[in-house]
Amino acid sequence: MSWLGRLWNHLRDGAVSTEITREMRFHLAERADDLVASGMAPDAAQREARRRFGSLAYQGERTRERDLFGWLDTLIGDVRYAFRALRTAPAFATVAILSLALGIGANTAVFSVINALVLRSLPVNHPEELLAVVRGEGGTIFTNPLWEAIRDRQDVFSGVFATGMTNFNLTTGGEARRVDASMVSGDYFATLGVRPVAGRLIARADDYRGCPAVALLSEGFWSSHYSADPGAIGKSILLDGHPFNIIGVSDGRFFGVSVGQRPQLFVPLCTEKIIRGANSQLDERSSWFLEIVGRPKPGLTRAQIEARFATLAPDIIEATIPSHWPGEGLKYYRSAKFRVDGAARGFSFVRDTYAKALYVLMAIVGLVLLIACANVANLLLARATVRRREMAVRVALGAGRARLARQLITESLLLSSIGAVLGIAFAVWGSRLLVRLLSRGDEGVSLDLGVDPRILLFTIGVATLTGLLFGLVPAWRAGRVDPQAAMKAQGRGVAEGHSRFAMGKALVVAQVALSLVLIVGAGLLIGSWRKLATVDPGFRSEGVLLVQSDIRNTNTPPELRLALHQQMIDAVRRLPGVQSASGSQITPVGGSTWNDEFRTDSFTAKSDKDRMAWVNPVSDGYFRTLDIPILAGRDFDTRDTPTSSKVAIINEAMAKRFFATPAPVGQHFQKQQGDGWSEPIEVVGVVGTTKYRSMRDSAQPIVYFPRAQESPKAQEMAIEVRGTGGTTSLVPSITKAIAGINPNITLDITTLERQLAESLTIPRAIAMLSGFFGAIAVLLATIGLYGVMAYTVARRRNEIGVRIALGAEQSRVVRMVLGEVAAIVIAGVVVGAALSLGVTRLVTSFLYGMKPTDPGTLVWSAVVLVLVGLAAAALPARRAATLDPVAALREE
Amino acid sequence: MARHKNDILQGTLVLLVLKTLDARGPMHGYAITSHIQRVSSDLLRVEEGSLYPALHRMTQDGWLEAEWGTTEKNREAKFYTITTAGQKQLALEEESWTRLRTGVTRVLRYA
Repeated sequence: MSWLGRLWNHLRDGAVSTEITREMRFHLAERADDLVASGMAPDAAQREARRRFGSLAYQGERTRERDLFGWLDTLIGDVRYAFRALRTAPAFATVAILSLALGIGANTAVFSVINALVLRSLPVNHPEELLAVVRGEGGTIFTNPLWEAIRDRQDVFSGVFATGMTNFNLTTGGEARRVDASMVSGDYFATLGVRPVAGRLIARADDYRGCPAVALLSEGFWSSHYSADPGAIGKSILLDGHPFNIIGVSDGRFFGVSVGQRPQLFVPLCTEKIIRGANSQLDERSSWFLEIVGRPKPGLTRAQIEARFATLAPDIIEATIPSHWPGEGLKYYRSAKFRVDGAARGFSFVRDTYAKALYVLMAIVGLVLLIACANVANLLLARATVRRREMAVRVALGAGRARLARQLITESLLLSSIGAVLGIAFAVWGSRLLVRLLSRGDEGVSLDLGVDPRILLFTIGVATLTGLLFGLVPAWRAGRVDPQAAMKAQGRGVAEGHSRFAMGKALVVAQVALSLVLIVGAGLLIGSWRKLATVDPGFRSEGVLLVQSDIRNTNTPPELRLALHQQMIDAVRRLPGVQSASGSQITPVGGSTWNDEFRTDSFTAKSDKDRMAWVNPVSDGYFRTLDIPILAGRDFDTRDTPTSSKVAIINEAMAKRFFATPAPVGQHFQKQQGDGWSEPIEVVGVVGTTKYRSMRDSAQPIVYFPRAQESPKAQEMAIEVRGTGGTTSLVPSITKAIAGINPNITLDITTLERQLAESLTIPRAIAMLSGFFGAIAVLLATIGLYGVMAYTVARRRNEIGVRIALGAEQSRVVRMVLGEVAAIVIAGVVVGAALSLGVTRLVTSFLYGMKPTDPGTLVWSAVVLVLVGLAAAALPARRAATLDPVAALREE
Repeated sequence: MARHKNDILQGTLVLLVLKTLDARGPMHGYAITSHIQRVSSDLLRVEEGSLYPALHRMTQDGWLEAEWGTTEKNREAKFYTITTAGQKQLALEEESWTRLRTGVTRVLRYA
């Protein structure tokens, strides 16, 4: 009867009882009939039948017990016995449990991050009902005029809100202290169903044009900045230099609707006007920064909502047309349809970036777990040899094969369960470490990594699967023991020993093969990262300080900004220890980009993409500061003013593509402007090609404009500073010098080297982790290999003793043992090589300058495995060679 | 697994039940009792009450299969059939019984 069947019995308790009673009643009736037939009176016969049967209730109970509790009873017995069995082999149990804990823990850790980032719903009221408004092909970002038009016209949502991420500077000048914040429309909290932990939340009444400045703290910010003091409510906080009145604290579990980000503060959308003043984007018809989410009225389907939006769309679009857009853009703006998409899991800009890396990690830790499984299976097989007598005794005592198998499976499951419990503890720590490793310094990822039912389910599933995976074969084999042979042979039966041995070898071959796949993968990922980290970016990053400045709080009128910026650059240049300094709008590999379309007479573009080039408005001295060679022509200088003729410096890649000559100094090109092209721009210099957006960039065209001509009214500027000594020692003097010009200028300071390193966070983390897990895999494979070889030598003691007695030299014996190891490792390497050729293609997008089938990596990995394998065999080989033949033979 | 005092008999009871079912085909509990008693010329008497727990245990171990049916007297009874696993078990039990008997006989003869 299956477990399920027994469970079924359990459930229909009554039915079982009556069935048993029926069976016994029948017996009594038959007995009574027989007694009557032999001449007894019916009454007496009944009584006699009952007497002979014994207590009907007691026997019934015993029978029922068999059916109902038999399996539960056996299970408890099995578990108790399994515990005892493990205690008798502490070394085995420790190795097995630790490797399982590591394997299961690593899998759970990666899964918890995937769960938090990709799978989990927002911690709000009925997240599954939430719908995001989408425009055109999946665009979830809207302008404020569009939001207001939708809010005022829609009649499908019972609650709808708009929200956008921003950050605020907590200082009023000098080095900035930034906190992430959310701008939210009035119905944000009401729609999501979030509760305050103190004070009140932002409500509809807080969000109107001209509203007062109020702010809501997150619980985390409240504890870290106000020690969770309720008195904080009603106090004032300076955000970007503007006083905001604190009205309450939101629940700490709530992190907004952007997974991976955690706003510390919430402010009403209308306060954007207070902060940005004349630069407010609230009426800008082409400033896209808001996400719109709604909770539909009960009973409305998505199709109905979208149909309603189709009716409303023309009105919404006409009310919000960005009039200055070129014709092409307007046509698109008019034609874009509104749709809705499930928003249960919120939005995430980091999801796509990190999910791919996490899937690769999941595959890696999956392989590690498989290797750990093979290892434990091997250990179990070795133990099976030791336990043959025990099994034989149990078979002789009448234990069925299935019964023995069940006992062994219970032991395996117990092992994997203990491994899982330790693994969860390991995972809680590991998942945090993982997020830290994957987070870039400037855009830290914040995830809720709490253990939830899905994670538990995952771990239980993995543990059960692992337990069955490594436990089934040993369990199946255990039942095949022949009690008589086993008892007699004292565990030296050649036939069984040999097949167990073949099985063990096969498992080690599998381990070696899987390890090879991991090492090849790790080799590729580490190699790519090293190439990325050492690739020549075209500039010299060492010794360059990046000072991101913002003059917004100085309220400098547009026409004076260029002069103020020049004053800042000059002030820095005058500082002792500064070799050169410059200003630019974009810094290399800094996250922000700017591109445009260009044309020349000599260039015919094959596609729109061909016409694109990166743009960076810079001051004079930019190339000197970053050590970018000027190959032809000149740097920008005082001749290039807002009113002088338009000039540009291009890089070599731009020269090659658009001019088909390496030094087109004096030639002209045009930039896209509205529907047409700009006036001709003269090339005054050609510089070396550098990385612009990422270290993975191929040689891409870049156009440098003088800041004076391209962005004289900008509020933000990056100052690059090359020092003569250490870069960080310059920070105080720079901060002081800038504050001397205007104390309201805010600064974010980093180094160019750190900026480059941060752009490589994910490749570095993946390289490190794959290396780590590759090493673990090799370690596990080594243990497996050592185990099998030690066993072989022990098993062949007699044979080796005879060989030595007959005059075999030590070297011959060593060669024999090493030969066997070599055979195993080579078989594993061949299988692994074939596997890795198929598997490594999955990491192609993480590779740089390497093909997934890189032969060097494959050979190198194989060599490592062979060497490690031989090292693992050294001890058993030595033991075999130094065997005392007399002692070995006497044991016979 | 809880063992009961009359298990002394249970070892042989299993053997007897398996043998009976193997030789005679499907039977209900009462018929098994009667058969053992008759064939052993009343030397062996199955303790009737303990038969059913044993039958259920053997069913659980997969040695027997049980099915409800009707007797000639039109009474409903549960019929037990031996399975392949049961037949293998029977061979094992027979062998160990033979060993036990030989051993005991020798001890009685030579001790």
